Amino acid sequence: MDSYRLANAEVVLPGLRAGDPAAQEALYRAFEAPVYNLARRICRTTEDAEDVMQEAFIEVFRSIGQFRGDGSLWGWVRTVTASKALMRLRRNKYRDTDELPEDILPFKKEDTALRMDLETALERLSETSRAVVWLHDVEGYTHEEISTMMDRTVSFSKSQLARAHTRLRRWLGEEARQ
Amino acid sequence: MTHLSMEQLLATREPGLEPQVRSWRDHLENCPACRAESDRLDQRTAQLKSLPTLAPGRDLFLAVREKAARERRLKQVRRMVFAGLAVAASVTIAFVSLRHQASQDRTLVAADPELAEVMSQSKGLERAIEGLDQDRQVVDGRTIAVTTSLEDQLARVDQQIEAVGLMDQQARQQRMLKLWRERVGLLDALVDVHLTGARYVGF
Repeated sequence: MDSYRLANAEVVLPGLRAGDPAAQEALYRAFEAPVYNLARRICRTTEDAEDVMQEAFIEVFRSIGQFRGDGSLWGWVRTVTASKALMRLRRNKYRDTDELPEDILPFKKEDTALRMDLETALERLSETSRAVVWLHDVEGYTHEEISTMMDRTVSFSKSQLARAHTRLRRWLGEEARQ
Repeated sequence: MTHLSMEQLLATREPGLEPQVRSWRDHLENCPACRAESDRLDQRTAQLKSLPTLAPGRDLFLAVREKAARERRLKQVRRMVFAGLAVAASVTIAFVSLRHQASQDRTLVAADPELAEVMSQSKGLERAIEGLDQDRQVVDGRTIAVTTSLEDQLARVDQQIEAVGLMDQQARQQRMLKLWRERVGLLDALVDVHLTGARYVGF
């Protein structure tokens, strides 16, 4: 994901700090897709993901003065987005640590033995588990960073990751060890 | 043989040299089943990373820009309100100080009729200057320079008059009379400048 970079970040930064709409649009166009993708991978609905994306960009425009340039601009924007998405989860009371009850999911219990594609399996995880697996495995955050963002313990993050992988393995129909 | 749990398998990938984690790493090296599980974990992670990037269904930039602009406007209004409150507080403090100064001046005037007379002359000259049509009277650069110089001197005298309030009663009375006389002289010169032009007042 680090491939998402604004080629001329140094050029747009002064404009962003001055609140220049052209610089804001340049940043938006550069990061629109990865920001939405991250929000959508954590949130359950497209509406929530769109709201998170808007909140993230507004926060970035508001707080750009705090970006010191120590890391990449995308790294900073990504952390803002992840925080907003996790806040949205908390706000929506999606703090369950288990996946959604089987009866509200669009397939029956016996279907779990069937081979699902990864997208479907990922979608079926609880918000918390999905957020942890995405932030850790795809975005590359450490358990310490995830626990800070989620306001939980490191062991909570680790156990959520293990739980997510155990379920993904089963739902993906991967062979169990002999 | 007990295989590694998912949590233990994941722990072997994290940095750490705890004896327990080292024993799990040893197990992983010697257990083909756990190594296969570790490989599947790697594959799954790689698949997760290669999932397509989801794109928003509509362009939300205008909405974002509008919200950001609205927030900026609110921030400006808030700043102006705070600035207004600060000015109001300063005005209140200045008003209280002036009232205090005025009460000190009244005490001095009551004790010294000569000072009262000079202060009265000063007020009369100030009223005369206010009554002049200065825009019409001040016509050349030299006059403007002289006027500015006199006004600067007046400002300095006014500052000194304010500072006199800190002196003891007797010293204050004498100093005040001297400064107010100086003030009257300057105002008198200023009236001449406005009436006749700079060249007639000896500058």
